[in-house]
Amino acid sequence: MTARGTPSRFLQSVLHNGVGRYVCQLKRLTLVFSKDAQPSRGAREYIEEKVVDFAKQNPGIVVYISPKPCRVPKLVGEYLNGSVREEDINSKTAEEIAQLIQKMANQSGLDIIRIRKPYHTDNPSIQGQWHLFTNKPTSLNLQSFGGASQHTDSP
Amino acid sequence: MSLLLLGLRSVAAAGLRCPPVRGKKRWLWPYLRYLEKKAALEGPPPPVPRSQKPNFDYHAEIVAFSKRLNETFSVQLLKTAFVNQSYLVEEESRRRALGLDHETAALNLEDNQKLAEEGSDFTQSYLTRTLQQAFPNLPEAGLKALVDYLTSQQVICHVAQNLSVEDLTLSAECPLSPDTLQKTFLAVIGALLESSGPEKTEHFLQDFLIPQMIGKDLFDVWFVTDPMSLLVEQLSQRNIPLPEPRITRQSGATTVLPVYFVGLYCDKKLIAEGPGETVIAAEEEAARVALRKMFGFAENRRPWDYSPYRQDNSDKKAIHTS
Repeated sequence: MTARGTPSRFLQSVLHNGVGRYVCQLKRLTLVFSKDAQPSRGAREYIEEKVVDFAKQNPGIVVYISPKPCRVPKLVGEYLNGSVREEDINSKTAEEIAQLIQKMANQSGLDIIRIRKPYHTDNPSIQGQWHLFTNKPTSLNLQSFGGASQHTDSP
Repeated sequence: MSLLLLGLRSVAAAGLRCPPVRGKKRWLWPYLRYLEKKAALEGPPPPVPRSQKPNFDYHAEIVAFSKRLNETFSVQLLKTAFVNQSYLVEEESRRRALGLDHETAALNLEDNQKLAEEGSDFTQSYLTRTLQQAFPNLPEAGLKALVDYLTSQQVICHVAQNLSVEDLTLSAECPLSPDTLQKTFLAVIGALLESSGPEKTEHFLQDFLIPQMIGKDLFDVWFVTDPMSLLVEQLSQRNIPLPEPRITRQSGATTVLPVYFVGLYCDKKLIAEGPGETVIAAEEEAARVALRKMFGFAENRRPWDYSPYRQDNSDKKAIHTS
């Protein structure tokens, strides 16, 4: 499929975030893991060592830890704009999970799809858009009438 | 050989916990099709508020809400701000239905009516004041249109949804009506006003409501049907002679895509120029351009200053210059 066929959006942010003040967009993080399964080992290590520090550093994110028997431990992040993102963390080390969580905390929750341009402006042109008279002298519009002795200044 | 095989089979049959069923499972596809049909008939399940789903600690969420916005709310007031009247009514009736007597069933909670009124009044007065400072040339009607836009249900609900006020709101209705959402957000503003004072609340409003004006044209917000008469009125107030429209440029007058540029001259000076498909449309556009310039609402105006101590700085400047 060509790039044109894929879903796309413009570069944007939720509520012009950062224009006034920065608000961390991740509101809720749920860590689902198993207490004894092998793929959850990294998740258990992360919970033992790092999760409390993360929660202290980010008081705006509510972290839930829910142990239940499962093969694939998961991270479920909920964002302020209502979107929910699930990430599988089976066979990941504690470090990798920490990186993944940091990435989720930095994201805005908008769809991760192709962004059409790496910049966006609400005022496309400061000088005014190009039109067919841009940079043309107004004298082009003057009409002279052969017989008349007086020239009119305006049409 | 055959004896051995028979022995093996008997061992396998005895050892397996669930003997494998052979053959094609002809019931499976009809059953799946039935499930599909049922789901299509019933439609999507009714939405459930986030607070009734697993992993939701109301107190932690409330604290995180205030931390996230970098504000110091009083937790009690913030909790009151999220309580709607409909929630109180429903919760009490639910408790009574469970068999509690009248006194035990009564909830000792206030609803957010008072806070919402406070927040609404403060928002109105603050926006009117700052917008008047920012656009001193804007007439009363334009100012009112701007304030009405920023406090309209659509804008307030948009801001509230993207700050996840919806999750924390306690209300009987499940997809919240815009009315409830607006009221709750205004109550949150009222709670902030009560707990951290007007200065902090002003910064909050500046950071979350004023950015909604970005990319908006003045006449998207303020519907002026006859800009020319407004321009004439404004010019006569400033003792400037009346504008004289002249066609400055034109092209393709006999084609399907003609374009005219009309300039407005006051005292033989060009004050504005606007394009249009007809002369009349161009004249109207020119009048709008002139008004935007006059009110300081041109597209290339300075962006809003969001620094938190803007007010203090301007006061200091005034002191230094005087």
